[in-house]
Amino acid sequence: MTFTLLARCPKTGQVGIGIATYSITVGLYCTGLRGNTGATMTQAFVNQGNNPLALRLLAQGYTPDHVLAELKANDSNHEFRQIAVIDRLGRVAACTGPKNRGWAGHVIGDGYVAMGNVLAGKPVVDAMAEAYEAAPEISFERRLLAAIEAGRDAGGQVGNDGHLAERSAAVMVYGDYDHAELDLRVDLHDKAVEELRRTFEEYELYRGYYRERSRNPKEAMPQYAFVQALARKQEAAR
Amino acid sequence: MTYSVIGRCKRTGRLGLCIATYSLAVGGRCEGVAANVGVCKTQAFPNRTNDPLGIKLLAQGYRPAHVMEILAGNDSEHGFRQVAIMDRDGWVAAHTGPGCRGWAGHKEAADCVALGNGLLGPQVLDGMIAGFLAHPDDALEYRLMRAIEGGRDAGGQGPVDAHRTERSAAIKVVDRRDFPDVDIRVDVHETAVVELRRVLEEFKLYEEFYRGRDTDPSKAIPQDVFVKKLDARRIKEQA
Repeated sequence: MTFTLLARCPKTGQVGIGIATYSITVGLYCTGLRGNTGATMTQAFVNQGNNPLALRLLAQGYTPDHVLAELKANDSNHEFRQIAVIDRLGRVAACTGPKNRGWAGHVIGDGYVAMGNVLAGKPVVDAMAEAYEAAPEISFERRLLAAIEAGRDAGGQVGNDGHLAERSAAVMVYGDYDHAELDLRVDLHDKAVEELRRTFEEYELYRGYYRERSRNPKEAMPQYAFVQALARKQEAAR
Repeated sequence: MTYSVIGRCKRTGRLGLCIATYSLAVGGRCEGVAANVGVCKTQAFPNRTNDPLGIKLLAQGYRPAHVMEILAGNDSEHGFRQVAIMDRDGWVAAHTGPGCRGWAGHKEAADCVALGNGLLGPQVLDGMIAGFLAHPDDALEYRLMRAIEGGRDAGGQGPVDAHRTERSAAIKVVDRRDFPDVDIRVDVHETAVVELRRVLEEFKLYEEFYRGRDTDPSKAIPQDVFVKKLDARRIKEQA
């Protein structure tokens, strides 16, 4: 029970993930992003060793198809996993094992995979793909967020007793560096996708400030002063 | 303004950190925890490339003291950074640059380093150390969590007339594998340390279930069934 959009941005070469699920602390499992290498995610019944292994294989030069074949050969429970792999060229491979529960499946597009399990149905992954493709002019992270919001709006997850809330969610983007360019999480919440959007919009206000503070600490204004200036600006805008 | 603790469990070799701050989404800037290698944490005015570099240097076999020298040589603004490094053997190095604002400092104790800037005073570091040392037999995540709670209870961030709340917090623990054992975040919240404790306690209830789904999926019960059992147990315990 999870829905995910994994992608490589064709404009910037960044790789990223937007994910939401009934499970808690899902960001803990999103260990499959590396700049200039690729993106991968194993979900459903997660094999936590898959992501680090797949990244190493991508770094070695294996194609996504071949990485997927290796993950299969290496895992006696492969048919329980749902996996997507994207390389730095935007080539994609994905599989939804036959032992995923509920409605489970994926759609592959140009440099991205929309996938999920224990979902309301195929419209959920279709809606994610459509939302991701809808506005290529907006930032990569906003496209990822739009995708999971669309997945939620299309019915999201459905368990034995009906709809399941998103209790955790995350959005992450990696670019040229070893560290994430964006890494935001909601670990335990009744409406994790809404909370992730709130967190993102709040963080966006600080992002340039944080970047500049690292680069040029001498001239950085104290954060409290920044927060006060922000509040004044928001007040004036109202 | 931030306070954090890096630590190691001598019994198990697990490594980790816990952090709380006025800044948002601090857990997104904690890459420097690597299983069987060590911990490197840069804060104050962080240089984001320090932690991945520090981990690579530790993995090469450099001791923390020498890694710190290299980080200093690699960064023209090293004087604005606060850095703590610990390797898998428990060797440590720590640096609080003179450019860190407010009260800033670090303190070492057995298997841990507490560090912070923009703090009420040295009592915050003492609170963290006391929290970490209080129950040495507990799992590392609980020792780290207790350390951050100790720092908060000793006054946390800001001078006495301008306390700054914790708006984000995170805890991360690695064992022997490539992925974290525990990795929990609170990114935007009014009392992030309280919320982090709540999420940690909840996570511990699910930890075995999630692990079983990975290693033996054919026997895993559906999660909504698991949650119902959990709720029933909670109601029984409250009664």
